[in-house]
Amino acid sequence: MAILLSGEWYDLRDLANPIRELIDGLGLPDAADYVLWSLIAALAIVTWLVVSVIAFIWIERRLVALMQNRIGPNRVGPAGLLQPIADAIKLLLKEAITTRDADRLLFWLAPIIVFIPTIVVFAVVPFGESMVLADLNVGVLFVIAVAGIMTPAIFIAGWSSNNKYALLAAMRTIAMLISYEIVQVLALLSAVLFIGSMNLGAFVSWQDEYNTWLIFIMPLPVVAYIIAGAVEINRSPMDLSEAESELAAGYHTEYGGIKFGFFYQAEYMAGFAVAATVTTLFLGGWTLWGLEEWIPGWIIFLGKLYAVFFLYIWSRATLPRLRIDQLMAFAWKFMLPLMLVNVLVIGAEVVVWEETGASRNIALPAIGALNATLAVILVVGWARVLGHGSGRQRGYRATLTQEIGKIYYTGAEAS
Amino acid sequence: MEDTGAVVAFWILAAITVGAALGVAAVRNLIHSVVLLIVSFAGVAGLYITLSADFIAVVQILIYIGAIAILIIFAIVLTPRAGRLNQEGFMFLPALVLAALVAGTMIFVAFDTSWAISEREGFEDTATAIGDLLLGKYALPFEIASVLLLSAIIGAILLVRPEGAEEGPE
Amino acid sequence: MTLKSEPFVVNVGPQHPSTHGVFRLRLTLDGEKIIDADMVMGYLHRSMEKLAEERTYTQNIPFTDRTDYLAAMTGNLAYVMAVEKLMNIEVPERAQFLRTIMAELQRIASHSMAIGIFANDCGAWQTPVMHMFRDREKILDLFEMACGARLTLNYMRIGGVSRDIPDEWMPQAHKLLKDLPNRFAEYEDLLLSNEIIIARSRGIGVLTPEQAIAYSVSGPMLRGSGVAWDIRKADPYAAYDKLDFDIAVGTNGDAYDRFVIRLAELRQSLRILEQALDMMPTGPVHERLGTSTVQPGTQPIAPLVFRPPVGEAYARIESPRGELGYYIVSDGGPSPFRFHIRSPSFINLTPLKQMAIGSTIADAIVILGSVDIVVGEVDR
Repeated sequence: MAILLSGEWYDLRDLANPIRELIDGLGLPDAADYVLWSLIAALAIVTWLVVSVIAFIWIERRLVALMQNRIGPNRVGPAGLLQPIADAIKLLLKEAITTRDADRLLFWLAPIIVFIPTIVVFAVVPFGESMVLADLNVGVLFVIAVAGIMTPAIFIAGWSSNNKYALLAAMRTIAMLISYEIVQVLALLSAVLFIGSMNLGAFVSWQDEYNTWLIFIMPLPVVAYIIAGAVEINRSPMDLSEAESELAAGYHTEYGGIKFGFFYQAEYMAGFAVAATVTTLFLGGWTLWGLEEWIPGWIIFLGKLYAVFFLYIWSRATLPRLRIDQLMAFAWKFMLPLMLVNVLVIGAEVVVWEETGASRNIALPAIGALNATLAVILVVGWARVLGHGSGRQRGYRATLTQEIGKIYYTGAEAS
Repeated sequence: MEDTGAVVAFWILAAITVGAALGVAAVRNLIHSVVLLIVSFAGVAGLYITLSADFIAVVQILIYIGAIAILIIFAIVLTPRAGRLNQEGFMFLPALVLAALVAGTMIFVAFDTSWAISEREGFEDTATAIGDLLLGKYALPFEIASVLLLSAIIGAILLVRPEGAEEGPE
Repeated sequence: MTLKSEPFVVNVGPQHPSTHGVFRLRLTLDGEKIIDADMVMGYLHRSMEKLAEERTYTQNIPFTDRTDYLAAMTGNLAYVMAVEKLMNIEVPERAQFLRTIMAELQRIASHSMAIGIFANDCGAWQTPVMHMFRDREKILDLFEMACGARLTLNYMRIGGVSRDIPDEWMPQAHKLLKDLPNRFAEYEDLLLSNEIIIARSRGIGVLTPEQAIAYSVSGPMLRGSGVAWDIRKADPYAAYDKLDFDIAVGTNGDAYDRFVIRLAELRQSLRILEQALDMMPTGPVHERLGTSTVQPGTQPIAPLVFRPPVGEAYARIESPRGELGYYIVSDGGPSPFRFHIRSPSFINLTPLKQMAIGSTIADAIVILGSVDIVVGEVDR
């Protein structure tokens, strides 16, 4: 009864409140309280993830269909809404084939390992003011570290299938993930430098306190992180590890049935994880300039998260794929130097701000404007230095002629 | 260590770590070895967490699982004729002797040292403390380590550079 | 110290998303670099050339639909032209124009697919193909109105075409021609200067004019290497000599050039279509042949059995993929004595090994996409 009377339980702005009220009302010992709280929170996160994935399988297919002049799934249930469920049932009922020469143990283990990091990341993500499972002080580092577990898992999947496509794709994936992890770390490092904390909650409260989003202050790392995130979740134009037109289905070529389903889901979840990181670190998390008083913070958070995830759907339906060496060159020759300069600049800005003690109303817009200008200059300038924007990158039209038999070959591009 | 939870966690993690480490040496398949090594690394990370050294724990995952294990995988996959098997070579006996000696020393040290049990509470924000120390009190060793790593990188690049190579392949 | 590596054989196909059917490419790789490439063909071999020797000349027309199934009209056209040459048949003016119009519509449909699939091979996930399907669909609708089929058309007949177009055909064709320039402009905007497509296709799969001629490639492959050669101009057939259009040529002979040529040819086909629709004469669409029966008020229909005089004939046309030739030897009987198809896909595929060696596996797929093969025509 005390729960109902307290007046806190219906405060859905933060789903943690009613649960906390409920648990407090039970009057359990501290340890049991803690365990119960963690279990409920973990279960809630996993449930949300699975529901989101199922919803997004439908949403993505419909969205991409819109972009591609198609209708998309519309047969199962109203507007095809039950399609993901039908898919899931199909995957579950399929025979779980293990190829003869596969390394059985690892072949079974890989889909499970791939699954783990994508869920665990959400432990440190604040969905609302107190809706965070583990308020870790090193949250940012945790996000990167946990995402790094994907790498060996993907290699295990590729290697254990004993398939050449899978192995090639696995090797590509590792090379890519390692390269882009560095970019990711540097992108986050500049944010961490600026905020002065690695706690994800601190990021949100900082952005709330200063009434701005980090994306306005430092646009370059955000873009870099989103691009590097596309590599991590195998989205076009970085979907080389499962480059359909080259390597069949990449590292999960040999997987079928629910084992494939695990990879499929893990990919979506990893996408949500990247989107959640971007949302929390750069887009103000669950805050929306005071609106979180009226709209539940978790709805704001999910809205932003899905908006970021939409970017990946969009790019998937739009962009062709780069070649592996071009992708690596982009990481090492283009993004890495830019991010290094960016870290230096942001560090300097922090020091200057501290030294001058300028008021935030002057300092933040100034830093934001400086960073934005610098980002444009750096990107355009460095691209020019590397030879982009010159003739080779520009498209041309075919030469039109009426003269039969004349040869127009110049061989300017022959290497 | 009066907290039962921590004690239970410690023993479970210790068992995982040591068991996996033994597996690394015992398993025939080299890739299986690496996987067990990853498990062992993860166990160590867990041990750090029981010591409320969250920064070190996360770094352990990031560096050891995310990087070192991958490096070892690369080394195995790229080695021609590695046989992919963990074989008993002629170094079996010397290795055993060496391992026994190291183990003996470790056990001796572990039992001989009078471990001081600190009464202070754990650090709230380990990352800040570590950062302050690394760039303050231990700045010189930190820099020396950096330079050492840099020279190792340069050395590695020089080693794998094809002889008489002209400017890059592109 | 150099790093040694073992060669690694990868089979691309016969069942693979980007081999455009059942075609197999055995690549020997050193890392990701191709050091050897073997083409294994024949998975779709249906023995058409031999089968054709057992059937009458009219019965053979549907076979030609099924060689290059993305361009059935041009397949029909080349075959009936060969038989007409053998029998010295003059085709009525209106039929000539209908053939030209259908062949050019087919070229737009086929090139659209080629461009879309090429972008797909560059990694654009389905979107260009789906957009291209939109135009192709409209063209197939026109075909359906004209002959009742959409893919395997069986429209051309020896001595003309199977039937005249219905009255609604012309307005719909004009409507399509009004839409298409905007679509083409859209594709040019999207694809021509797309940085990733350029990065993926420029400078790979280079074929110099000498090599191209030596391999006797034709069509966009040959024009991509900078040789201005188009049978529609060099050896005009149907109504092409009355129409004004340009040949699109490239300058570098790489995959990108073949792709821009196809884009340019879409516009040239449009030009041809606009002229041809305006100039279309009235009259019969089928020549009255010896045994054909004519009912009052209807078009003459083709007889089922021909017995061409003893002799041989070769007719060639510019199909969307290149020089498509039919060589027919007659012994005076009701079916050909020898029936040979000079299929452009097959011959354009031969330099693939030369183009692929030295590039990476990802490039090989793009090069294969730029060749634009139809396996039905490669294997026949």
